[in-house]
Amino acid sequence: MASHVLVVEDSALLTNALRLLLEVTGHRVSVAATVRDAVSTARTTRPDVMLLDVTLQQEDGLDVLRELERTGDAPRISVALTGHDSPEVHERCLAAGCRDVLVKPVSGAELSARIDAWLQE
Amino acid sequence: MHLARVIAELRNQDALKTQFLANISHDLRTPLTAIITHAEIMRDGILGELTDRQAESITGIISGGRQLLDMVGEILTYARGAANQLTLARTEFTVESVVEQVAVMSDSLVGRKEHALSVDVAPELPSVYADREKIAHVLANLLGNAIDFTPPGGRVWIAARLSRDARAPAAVEIEVGDTGIGIAPEHYDLVFREFAQVDASASRQHHGTGLGLAIARKFVELHHGQIWVESKLGEGSRFFFTVPLRAAP
Repeated sequence: MASHVLVVEDSALLTNALRLLLEVTGHRVSVAATVRDAVSTARTTRPDVMLLDVTLQQEDGLDVLRELERTGDAPRISVALTGHDSPEVHERCLAAGCRDVLVKPVSGAELSARIDAWLQE
Repeated sequence: MHLARVIAELRNQDALKTQFLANISHDLRTPLTAIITHAEIMRDGILGELTDRQAESITGIISGGRQLLDMVGEILTYARGAANQLTLARTEFTVESVVEQVAVMSDSLVGRKEHALSVDVAPELPSVYADREKIAHVLANLLGNAIDFTPPGGRVWIAARLSRDARAPAAVEIEVGDTGIGIAPEHYDLVFREFAQVDASASRQHHGTGLGLAIARKFVELHHGQIWVESKLGEGSRFFFTVPLRAAP
């Protein structure tokens, strides 16, 4: 199912990999690398799904979701991406409103299957 | 007077290096993750079907990348431990459930070297209040070493019982033993030290950051438990660690 995915990630290397994967599997992709950029992109482009890197440069990636929740602009589905899956991180992501927590590196086939499943919920 | 200043300066430098190690290992993960993600996109045929040989080559990139990622993760954990940045996420669980989980995960490794793995958990062992993930990590590390350093056909075992040490707070004692190459008594302390390998050639065959037991020791000490080894060269090793039933007040 085609959808619009906002990838919030500070590494262009990773953004490029995710963009390639998502575009080939039929999604439209926007990217943002900072909390500020992500909040304004989400408000103007209204993505269906937001993939959120938990640690941006010196910033807490979850602040993006907290700010969007505050104004009622949060995407239908937000999912955290993290390099380290500890129970603390997991809990923090769910508390901020994430639907799920994915540990990097995320398998391409798995990510695209999960996005389809979320959108059909 | 000068000496105090020199020591303070050296401590400071050591802390900076540890922080650098934590930062660099964290930063190494990002490009590595990108490499693995790209390779998996190709492997999964998302960009088009691969020939068998192409698939084999891509699979090599992925398994090499994942092994490197594990090693980088190990260095990051060590550096965080050395910088006192590790915390415990305690829950109540039974040691039996962790032993089962780790034994199942190691099943294929055990089978490959035709080891006999036996598990003996004392009945009615009380549950512990500890960081389950870290305790599982310690046990998996000890079991991995036991399998690595035991020739095919040898015996490897896990046992858990109530600690009989009356001087320490009530604790569960976990043992991982093997009939492998063993460790000389003068090396008992060395094996728990970071970056130390008693026999470099033997460890090099496996993943070799040399940090596995140093991290295990750190995790056990965070719980105020103890870890030690008893061994005889050529006959085998028995590693022990304790997990106090309750958090120290």
